[in-house]
Amino acid sequence: MADKMDLLDVEVWDGNMAASQAFRQAQIDVVAAYPITPSTPVVENYAGFLADGYVDGEYVMVESEHAAMSGCVGAAAAGGRVATATSSQGFALMVEVLYQASGMRLPIVLEVVNRALAAPLNVNGDHSDMYLGRDSGWIQLDTFSPQEAYDLTLMAFKIGEDHNVRLPVMVHQDGFISSHTAQGVKTIDDDTAYNFLGEFQPFNAMLDFEKPASYGVQTEEDWHFEHKARQHNDLMTKVFPKIDEVFADFKKLTGREYRILEEYAMDDAEVAIVVMGTSVESTRIVCAELREQGIKAGVLGIRVLRPFPMEKIAAALSGVKAVATLDRSSPNGTVGMLFNEMSGVMINATERPIINNYIYGLGGRDLTIEHIRGIYGDLQENAKAGSLQQPLQQFIGLRGPKLSFY
Amino acid sequence: MSEIKKIKNLKEFSTSADRVVGANLLCPGCAHSIIVREVLNATNDDLVISASTGCLEVCTAVYPYTSWDASWIHIGFENSSTAVAGAEAMYQALKRKGRLLQPERTPKFVAFGGDGATYDIGFQWLSGCFERGHDMMYVTLDNEVYANTGGQASGATPLGSSTTTAPAGRVSYGKKRHKKDMMAIMAAHGAPYVAQVAPNKWKDMVKKIQTGFQTEGPVFINAMSACTTEWKFAPEDTIAISDLATDSLVFPLYEIIDGKEWNITYRPKNIIPVRDYLGAQGRFKHLFKKENEYLIEEWQKRIDSSWEYLQRREESRV
Amino acid sequence: MAENNGWDQFDAGTILFSFNDKVDNIATTHAENRPYSNSNSYTASVGDWRVAKPIFNKDFCIDCQFCWIYCPDMSILSRDKKMVGVDYDHCKGCGICVEVCPTNPKSLLMFNEQHDDEEALASWPEKESKEK
Repeated sequence: MADKMDLLDVEVWDGNMAASQAFRQAQIDVVAAYPITPSTPVVENYAGFLADGYVDGEYVMVESEHAAMSGCVGAAAAGGRVATATSSQGFALMVEVLYQASGMRLPIVLEVVNRALAAPLNVNGDHSDMYLGRDSGWIQLDTFSPQEAYDLTLMAFKIGEDHNVRLPVMVHQDGFISSHTAQGVKTIDDDTAYNFLGEFQPFNAMLDFEKPASYGVQTEEDWHFEHKARQHNDLMTKVFPKIDEVFADFKKLTGREYRILEEYAMDDAEVAIVVMGTSVESTRIVCAELREQGIKAGVLGIRVLRPFPMEKIAAALSGVKAVATLDRSSPNGTVGMLFNEMSGVMINATERPIINNYIYGLGGRDLTIEHIRGIYGDLQENAKAGSLQQPLQQFIGLRGPKLSFY
Repeated sequence: MSEIKKIKNLKEFSTSADRVVGANLLCPGCAHSIIVREVLNATNDDLVISASTGCLEVCTAVYPYTSWDASWIHIGFENSSTAVAGAEAMYQALKRKGRLLQPERTPKFVAFGGDGATYDIGFQWLSGCFERGHDMMYVTLDNEVYANTGGQASGATPLGSSTTTAPAGRVSYGKKRHKKDMMAIMAAHGAPYVAQVAPNKWKDMVKKIQTGFQTEGPVFINAMSACTTEWKFAPEDTIAISDLATDSLVFPLYEIIDGKEWNITYRPKNIIPVRDYLGAQGRFKHLFKKENEYLIEEWQKRIDSSWEYLQRREESRV
Repeated sequence: MAENNGWDQFDAGTILFSFNDKVDNIATTHAENRPYSNSNSYTASVGDWRVAKPIFNKDFCIDCQFCWIYCPDMSILSRDKKMVGVDYDHCKGCGICVEVCPTNPKSLLMFNEQHDDEEALASWPEKESKEK
């Protein structure tokens, strides 16, 4: 029986410790993990908890990230609560297995501490790893602070393990900016946290010898389409209702409210920024500032990347005159992912905002308050003119001649 | 530890109820399923089985059918070892936490992989599992090629064999490199038990598998799988070719205990020339051309020296 | 039949279950007594792969069980240490059983798929004299 930890009501935790504590409280049965900056402390903290008797599950220190996810898949198919953490190169290495995990409908929680993808090699925070895993069939949640990393990581287990959902869940947080920055995190005590998740309920477990199951069979042209369609259908129909339910339960438990789409001052917004990660909070600060000046600014923080909340976004953006999409990943030859997603949402609307794209923060480059003010300035120009007044895509915070396209 | 299944002789063994079933898609005469049968029938315990992408997996699990009467998982090419290791870790965790669904049962964890999966693409994964010491058995189904994709060369392909990516042609005699010595590599991991087996010598194989199942920790079994399709011989000759392999000592049967104690477990009454083994297979046909015959002599010399080495290792008892 | 199932008509995750019921002591329960679901290939047949089939003549069989152990397709049926026949639903006609049969004449021989079993048994070859 694992020892319990007495937590203060508010602990000073960075995003990594917040995630590790959520892992500890979830009483995971098998963690198969490999260290990589900046997610390493999750793995280290968890090892520390194990060594001190706070964890009684198995901790498999594998020899690569691909092996980490492979071990997680084997353990999840065997039937129990499973999780791991990684970043960047490690995430890229396990991409193959991500698709296999979701295709096999196994609830696994993956903490992704977002970091740039090489080359060039970079250990700092950006979203290029997050973007790499977009189509992998996982539920994908984004967090904007250590508090959110703690809360969402706990909730991830509850969302994925539901027998109607049975999908693996990624919880993203910005490398270094969230993972290595401490804040006062409001905690939940061990018993309450574990009971919120409940004991893992096995489903089609390989270790149920009364009902042996074959996992990972092959489907060819006569079957594959149906199986992938089923997975897509379940992502599209089963996940949001469960997330709503878990968010509601969490609010009852803690008072903290999370929403599938984090709208800030969007009700009557005329200019809005769509953004992910820690920059959501920075953008809210500028937004509040502008609101005081009477400017109808708003912020759309993407909380759930997959499944994609198309209808909610369409509702939030209707009436908005100019929208900036901020992508923290180089699209390498085209517009950014959020630009495409937002454009896709609005393309068939009778009234469409002017949408433009900003590439920022690659490899840990700061996005400052000043930068954000500049973006809102662009948006106001566009809203006033009723048309795009700058190039469609701009790089923000870059040294050298101004880089922009289209 | 569960009771070892009693297998005094073949008649007793024949009362076994197979847990891999027919109407699978393996080629007629495929040695893979002969091996799998001998492995699974060696125990009455419950099984959790994994397979790497490859002939065994592809032919026994194509929707809407499975040919496995046991829990089974396929993830990908590299990771049948890690899949079973993950399942074994879950078993240990649930056992410790008192949440096993059938706590009285003592399942065996067995991973199958082809030579491509084992010697090449899944090598790291296998090594990691053995370094960590999971209580599992890994069985290589060694047919010395990437058979499932049409016969490309692997790290297990022997010198002079003609494969699609190292074919015998006008200016080449096929693969130029020697076969990797997986037995020595896995023994060097300090694995408690490592053994080379062949399905024609069923008694030797079953004894080793039972030893493996009774051994705590990771066990590596290298099983010779004569492939009618890629080695190019008639499907009815699978056992005959296997006999040539074991009796020419191209595929010697031995075991290594704790990485140090080597035991030869089969000494052929009459050692047949390597030439007879090579001559029976289409993949070596080109070696019998005048300009290539020196390779047959080299083969014989190499097999002789390997057998010599094996005997010295057995004697030395380090 | 599973063949035309739509995307909403199967277990999610492509998971297949071999049995419709639990099996106690599966390792000692022969196939004919297992409650197979139609997801298990045992319920299918590859008999149509054959161009030649093995015919079993129990008059010469010594129940050595070589055919049982070396059959790759679990198609030699052995019960209570006695060879009882060939499972023609699952036999692919590879011919290994005939090759490994040690009796003289052999207790298993390959015949054309269309050959009449009774006729084959009636005209079984004589014992061969071995030349050394």
